[in-house]
Amino acid sequence: MPTADDLRPLAVDLALLGATLMLFAVDLGLPHGRKRWLGVLSSALLAGLFVLTFFVDTEGSAFGGSYVGGAWPLLFKRIALAAGALAALGSVDHVDRHFPTRQGEFYLLMMFSLMGMTLLPGARDLLLFVVAFEMMGIPLAMMASYAKTEDLKGVHRHAAEAGLKLYLISAVSTAITLFGLSYVYGLTGSTRLDVIAQAPLSPLLGVGMMLTVAGMSFKVGAVPFHMWVPDTYQGAPTPFVAFLSVAPKASGFAAMTAMLLVAFKNNREQVLSVVLLMSLASITIGNLLALPQKDVKRLLAYSGIAQVGYMLIGLVAGGSYGVGMLLFFVSGYVATNMGAFLVLEAIAPQRTGITLDDVKGLSRRSPWLAAALLLFLLSLAGIPFVVGFWGKLMVFMAAYQAGYGWLVLFGALMAIVSLWYYLQVARAAYMGDAPTEEVVPVKVTPTLATAIAVCLTLVLGMGAYPRPFIEQASAAARSFLGEAP
Amino acid sequence: MRAIDWALLSTFLPLATALLLVLVSPLRRTGLGAGLVSVVSAVATFVGAVMVLASRFGAEAGVVHRTIQWLPHSALGGVAHGRGAIELGVHVDGISATMLVVVTFVALCVQVFSIGYMAEEPKADFGRYFTWQSLFLFAMNSLVIAPNLLQLFLGWELVGLVSYLLIGYWWKKPSAARAALKAFWITKFADMGLLAGLIVLFLATGTFDWTVTTAAAGTVTLLLFVAVMGKSAQFPLHIWLPDAMEGPTPVSALLHAATMVAAGVFLVVRAFPLFEQAPNTLTVMAYVGSFTALFAAVVAVVQTDIKKVLAYSTCSQLGYMVCALGAGSQAAGFFHLTTHAFFKALLFLAAGSLIHGVHSNELSHMGGLLKKMKVTSGAFIIGSLALAGVPGLAGFFSKDLILEEVLHRGLWAPLGALLVAAFLTAFYMGRVMWVALLGEPSEHAKHAHESGPSMLAPLIGLSVLAIGVGYFGGTLSGLYGEPVHFHLSAIGIVATVLGLSGLGISYWMFGAPQGGKAILEAFAPVGRLARSGAVNGFFAWSYRSVMTRVAAAIGWFDRYVIDGLINGIAYGTLEAGSRLRVIQTGRVQDYVYVVVAAMLLIGLYGAFWGR
Repeated sequence: MPTADDLRPLAVDLALLGATLMLFAVDLGLPHGRKRWLGVLSSALLAGLFVLTFFVDTEGSAFGGSYVGGAWPLLFKRIALAAGALAALGSVDHVDRHFPTRQGEFYLLMMFSLMGMTLLPGARDLLLFVVAFEMMGIPLAMMASYAKTEDLKGVHRHAAEAGLKLYLISAVSTAITLFGLSYVYGLTGSTRLDVIAQAPLSPLLGVGMMLTVAGMSFKVGAVPFHMWVPDTYQGAPTPFVAFLSVAPKASGFAAMTAMLLVAFKNNREQVLSVVLLMSLASITIGNLLALPQKDVKRLLAYSGIAQVGYMLIGLVAGGSYGVGMLLFFVSGYVATNMGAFLVLEAIAPQRTGITLDDVKGLSRRSPWLAAALLLFLLSLAGIPFVVGFWGKLMVFMAAYQAGYGWLVLFGALMAIVSLWYYLQVARAAYMGDAPTEEVVPVKVTPTLATAIAVCLTLVLGMGAYPRPFIEQASAAARSFLGEAP
Repeated sequence: MRAIDWALLSTFLPLATALLLVLVSPLRRTGLGAGLVSVVSAVATFVGAVMVLASRFGAEAGVVHRTIQWLPHSALGGVAHGRGAIELGVHVDGISATMLVVVTFVALCVQVFSIGYMAEEPKADFGRYFTWQSLFLFAMNSLVIAPNLLQLFLGWELVGLVSYLLIGYWWKKPSAARAALKAFWITKFADMGLLAGLIVLFLATGTFDWTVTTAAAGTVTLLLFVAVMGKSAQFPLHIWLPDAMEGPTPVSALLHAATMVAAGVFLVVRAFPLFEQAPNTLTVMAYVGSFTALFAAVVAVVQTDIKKVLAYSTCSQLGYMVCALGAGSQAAGFFHLTTHAFFKALLFLAAGSLIHGVHSNELSHMGGLLKKMKVTSGAFIIGSLALAGVPGLAGFFSKDLILEEVLHRGLWAPLGALLVAAFLTAFYMGRVMWVALLGEPSEHAKHAHESGPSMLAPLIGLSVLAIGVGYFGGTLSGLYGEPVHFHLSAIGIVATVLGLSGLGISYWMFGAPQGGKAILEAFAPVGRLARSGAVNGFFAWSYRSVMTRVAAAIGWFDRYVIDGLINGIAYGTLEAGSRLRVIQTGRVQDYVYVVVAAMLLIGLYGAFWGR
């Protein structure tokens, strides 16, 4: 029987469940025409939960060790909740404009997906893993196809494709992960990660471990499981893409680190060689394929694939420093990428596809949006004074320390390639002529503007004073690996 | 106020000015108002810098090193040795104090000059320009006062970023936008060397200080030198500098003569304790620097655009500095940086004034400007003579010091290259002077008129320094080491003779027919000899068929091979991107095949190692 102590590590997740139910009830009671407040409410609820994480004690473990609390999962929960709050705030007007009758479901799906994300980092049991993974993934596929063609004729025709691709690749990956897990379970007789860690190595266990880790890398969008990413980003509603591009990645990394460093900790070297290959492939393919893109969302999709490659460097480096800096990198990336997509939403709220031509002349249409976009792009490129620089620097330092000097060199060279396409966007915003003669100012709704402002503050703040964030991340990583704080 | 306060003032006042102009857009849009605010702030910044330098001669002349901890040791993964924290702060010593004055004075001159030069720009653009000027000054000063290499790197990157904005100021011109991107991309590529060097240094020693002794010095300094080659335009990473001339001329004076490109040399000067531990890096530097000095000087001979001549000349002079540092002389390299900053900024601004007068960069569109624009021409002549190494002017002292040091170290090949470069420098500057200032006035030049006072005042100020600063070599070098004492050496006489003959030959080839008859008559015997058919023929032949052809061939090589190679790499990368697109078919069944195939391979690999 679960006791009260068992529930302590689940405090945040249970509160999230409560918030979700509350949202559901409000949705039932709210008359049509007022539904846009659901977005504001869910954002407020998530922000409240985010604040709550600073006041709860989640130490300990639940259900006989299947679920753990503590600093490491808590930090991931915070990232997911913050991403959710910002994405909900950024979605308010888009959802109200395009899906006025289906608003409640949108935010409920987001909350359900978030519940999967908050559960995932604490899971230490294979079954819980799979359930949390699917709980996170299936609502995402539904949201990706949310813009059905009937809304605006012909304009949203990519939506079904976006959702279907995400769903199919997700299903295949899950099937393969489950296949791998069945080997792992069969050979070790347990679904608990700490028990699996004790099992002797055998060919079948090798197959199982590899397939598990590979299947999980689908969620983070690493090569070769990346192909859904550009198509889905291009076709799905932009504020949702802002969410999709950051939150599942953070939780996906939580799951991967748990698998690699807890379940397979005695055999991690070989698994890491596959992770290393995926990292190299992601950096290369992501950066090179971003170069010829004319659609900014596709460009950011490939850039995201490359960024995942950099995050995987932190995983390859390993140790509390490596994974800690991975976590720091991810938290900076969440603010940056979310901000970049929200700016795109502000520029072209009517469409799902946004080309470089749409960005042209932005600096004259809205100097503030252009400046924000520039800073987000600089952060993605890793230029000093914005958070992306510290993220890259720290991950590189960890990799060099772990003896991967050549990987650092490779990553740094490819970062220069990335500068090319990031600057293409910045150049369009600052140096391109607006498509029309007259300068049409961009109207940004207050909710969207707030969300962008928060992202910008985080990007600048974490860039100017990264210390508390880095310290939190390293402390969490040390507690995760059971090292002295 | 103490030295540290003045240093902080010099750094943060420009930042405050830039922020003010960014945030208060009505002020920015007034144009002239924004310019005046920026200039007033630059004056105060310069005063601050002078006070910092003055403090080096006063009672509290010791090194001031004040830092605050930005990231503690624990946040950096517990690197094995040392304190291992990331610190930001201020370091005031003779080097940073001197550099601070150089940077702020040139920046002040450039800003005053810009008020006149950019007057016809739209008001909003004018304000934007001064915003970036102020931001640039902040970036550069934070680099100069850096107490460690990490802060230097941060300033370095910010400088690169602002330079991208300033070069691309005329973004509507596609060539300007391209040049800005190219400059940023290439210097950024080189910056990775600095970043890698910092990581190696930090993990080897646990600090970003340049004073540490470490066995990794060889690797670290070589990596740092890659960054120096990019920023200070050393062969073969120099190709961005001529293109960067697309920016407004005052920007070229500030960035591409005195400050940003000098940052690379400054990095070596700053981190010299590290470089001294790596004799091999120093040797590489001596050869790369002297080769660049010669190569760029040859290319400069055939340029027809006045700014391109100055750009290649800057490459060449930076080569001198790098070579001097490679010869192990911190003082010679840094002193040449100081003098060069003044006379090259003077040349660029004077060239800007000439361009303003004739509305063209082409030398063939100038001519006879000496009569129309007396002050500008006078300033240009002073700058040219200083650059050519005419005795008594600034360039003479510093160039002589470099040659002496290189000779002293027995670096014969670099010494030869530098001497030939000295001759060529005088020759191409002579060519510009004779053609643009004397020469037959072209259609454009007939309507030329002298520039306004805001453009002439900076020229006069810089002229004074281009003449005078050479005499302070001993004083300045005494601030950070053994003071060097100037004495005319044999090699100095050789270089002077080479320089004067370069000027003379260029005069004889480009100047004699039109003006300067009096000079010619003063040297009547020499003139007679020169006009005698044989000598005349020989020089005419050697210039036409040997020198111009060689220079043109090298210019072609630079334009198409070196530049082409780097463009080729960029193009190849872009092309690879386009080619790779075919793997993204858009068909979901293909995606599933890829996923399944990858899973199979990964699974097989797992089975293999699990055996």
